Amino acid sequence: MILQSSNSSYLIRILTFLIFIFCLNSLYAAEGGPCKDYGECDKFEYSLNDMESLQRGAATYINYCYGCHSLQYSRWGRVANDLQIPEEIFFENLVFDKSIKPGDLMTGAMSEDSVNWFGVAPPDLTLVSRYKGDDWIYSYLRAYYEDASKQYGVNNLVYPGTAMPNVLLSLQGNQRLVCKNIPVIAKNGGEKRDEFGNTITKEKCGFLEVEEGTGVLSKEEFDTLIYDLTNFLVYVGEPIKATRERIGWYVVFYFLIFTALASLLYREYHKDYK
Amino acid sequence: MQDKDKTRRKVLIGLTSAVGLSGIPFAATPFIAAWNPSAKAKAAGAPVKLDVSKMQYGQQIQVAWRKQPVFIVRHTKESIANLELAVPKLDDPNSDKIEELYKGLNPSRSRSPEYSIFSGVCTHLGCAPKYFPEIEPKPWDATWNGGFFCPCHGSMFDIVGRVFKGVPAPTNLVVPPHMFEGSILTIGEDKEL
Amino acid sequence: MSEMAGKLFSWINDRLPIVNTFERHLSKHPVPSKVNFWYLFGALAAVTLIIQIVTGIWLIMPYSNTEEQAFSSVEYIMRDVDYGWVIRYMHTTGASLFFAVVYLHMFRGLLYGSYQKPKELVWIFGCTIYLAMMAEGFLGYVLPYGQMSYWGAQVIISLFGAIPYIGESLELWVRGDYYISGITVSRFFALHVVALPLVLIALVFLHLVALHEVGAGNPEGVDIEKYLDDDGVPLDSVPFFPYKVLNALVAIGVFGIVFSIIMFFFPEGGGYFIEMANFQEANPLVTPDHIAPVWYYAPFYTMLRAVPDPLGGLIVMASAVAIFFIVPWLDRSKVASIRYKGMYSKIALTLFGVSFLTLGYLGTVGVTEVRKTMSVICTIIYFAYFLLMPIYTKYEKTKEVPERL
Repeated sequence: MILQSSNSSYLIRILTFLIFIFCLNSLYAAEGGPCKDYGECDKFEYSLNDMESLQRGAATYINYCYGCHSLQYSRWGRVANDLQIPEEIFFENLVFDKSIKPGDLMTGAMSEDSVNWFGVAPPDLTLVSRYKGDDWIYSYLRAYYEDASKQYGVNNLVYPGTAMPNVLLSLQGNQRLVCKNIPVIAKNGGEKRDEFGNTITKEKCGFLEVEEGTGVLSKEEFDTLIYDLTNFLVYVGEPIKATRERIGWYVVFYFLIFTALASLLYREYHKDYK
Repeated sequence: MQDKDKTRRKVLIGLTSAVGLSGIPFAATPFIAAWNPSAKAKAAGAPVKLDVSKMQYGQQIQVAWRKQPVFIVRHTKESIANLELAVPKLDDPNSDKIEELYKGLNPSRSRSPEYSIFSGVCTHLGCAPKYFPEIEPKPWDATWNGGFFCPCHGSMFDIVGRVFKGVPAPTNLVVPPHMFEGSILTIGEDKEL
Repeated sequence: MSEMAGKLFSWINDRLPIVNTFERHLSKHPVPSKVNFWYLFGALAAVTLIIQIVTGIWLIMPYSNTEEQAFSSVEYIMRDVDYGWVIRYMHTTGASLFFAVVYLHMFRGLLYGSYQKPKELVWIFGCTIYLAMMAEGFLGYVLPYGQMSYWGAQVIISLFGAIPYIGESLELWVRGDYYISGITVSRFFALHVVALPLVLIALVFLHLVALHEVGAGNPEGVDIEKYLDDDGVPLDSVPFFPYKVLNALVAIGVFGIVFSIIMFFFPEGGGYFIEMANFQEANPLVTPDHIAPVWYYAPFYTMLRAVPDPLGGLIVMASAVAIFFIVPWLDRSKVASIRYKGMYSKIALTLFGVSFLTLGYLGTVGVTEVRKTMSVICTIIYFAYFLLMPIYTKYEKTKEVPERL
């Protein structure tokens, strides 16, 4: 009889059933992903120990984003310190307001008029990596495309109708939505071919393509720029994250040792009443 | 029970307790450290900068550093010369009893011969002494040469903050770290220290 | 010196039953000699309660309970306070694991009949603790004043509105404003940090006193009091110290591993422990795309959604919790443990467990037609488990319980 086995197998059985339910549910999942028209968000792997990436990201942020988006919970000096930028160099090159002290919060450089310019106040981005997620940011910043019907001439696949102009346009170049002929995939997973052995293609639209020669950076360079920027936003979202994970290993290791010793001791005493 | 088992138990008890107890200081660290001044408090307590060139001779002003009063006095040549006169009355004229940052540098006890910078918190019980620069008999001292008098318990200090003999305050007023860049005085930071 | 200390101790002991209480309830307290891992979650719940109280006290210090500063004071804790992040993550992880441990503890109760005579009061105190915990968790979740705090509270407080006649004015009264404002946060703060912890501690005390009066159970459902030695100590028992303590230490070690993995590597628990939207400050004008309760309320939230009428939903949800209280009188079985119960009980408990977990999962995702049907089915199974219990426990064939453990 299935149900007669030991008690702990109840848990296992229930878990198996749950996995089944999850699978069943994913079949019926009707919600769109967070990246909307872009489809699946691009995966982002942060590297918070890569100081150079973080430093470049911070520079990009301050030069291109900080004019509108504050980082109101973050302090200048801490960013310099955590990113291992000597304070003099940091303040000389990245802090434009000379009255700012290292302990000050990065409350932004924008006036109240901004609401009138964009229709909405540019949000503070200290925690954007935590409420939107790093995948989303990484996809969003690379998903702008030309759309003459919009106020700033651009739209975004990840965030259709976004109020933010593409401030990185000069770096990226003109990105457009294009249609392409792509091979039709057969049921067996391979490309479908006609009777002469030619690949059957079908026109599909919605691909992003940068017009060649319009941007300062190549596609790879631009992706790296956005990578660094996203990496920096992940850092700002939780400055302690790298340290947290480092300490975590020690704590887990400590409990492993403790558990091992405690269970040896328990077994030793268990002999008394076996 | 066999002796071998007994030893095994003892060793295991020792090891488990040692590992268990060694975790306590680590577990306590966040709770103790959380009481340190936060980054916000440190930012609010950052060094204070001010231009002291506009001060008049003999004038005393008060600035707040870490929400505590700091006195700045700009001395005249005469008052610096008169400092010697007060010495017999002083308890610790050379600041030997305290950790003095700029000991022996200037008679003013600061980085500048012209300005004195010291904490406005009486070393007795924390009241703020008042500045009486006049050289004239005072109710608390018939031979007053100018200085600070604390209204709470009658402690007296000379114009550079040195404590008098026989008053409740035990030590001289404390000189905080400071530096001058031209006429800009920074209190709370001294890059050369 | 030691003689002095000894004298002082005996002076106190003559007036305060220190040694007696210590021996009776801790060192010499007899516990069944053969139990399994299911019997360790009570100790873990106690450990978690202590963690929550200590970290909670430390969080009160830098937290600010005003509308303007509640959210930013949490970021202040996370960034500006030395090790503030450790304390806050301990509290958030602790909250989720407290519920996890208590759910497993409660399931143990259903599995081995830990509510049966004479343990009815132990069970009832336990159910009350669970009820208080649900309130405590809800109130605490509002305090960071993020988007989920706000909209979660909005949904829960709106439930009061479903009560006929007084609903709307009750809602207003609870909030003390026309929206969930600073005064609401402030009230919830007072209840979360003072009132409910007092209630919880008192209930835990009663839970333990009642338990020590009737004695702990075991997975066999054997009454160990039947066979006593010459000193009146059950033969199938061991003293709490050191045997049970060592067992608990191992459990605490394992719990520590799980706790620290979550706390240091996945503090948001994939959005289940700290929801992503709660990193945005409360905005009464913008509802987040997807409102989901924290995982530990999810099963009940699904039941609420499964019923089309708000008042009906409220009644179903409340009954789902309330029904736990009468379990001691629903179970008519001669045996306590699932090991000796019949086929029906085993099927019923399995179905119950599965439907509870499914309800939990459904509560955290959006609604579709299929899911809606599933939530109705699972709600029915959930209630059927309890309501049919008097029948299937009475008429099923049980096995003979052994005399000794």
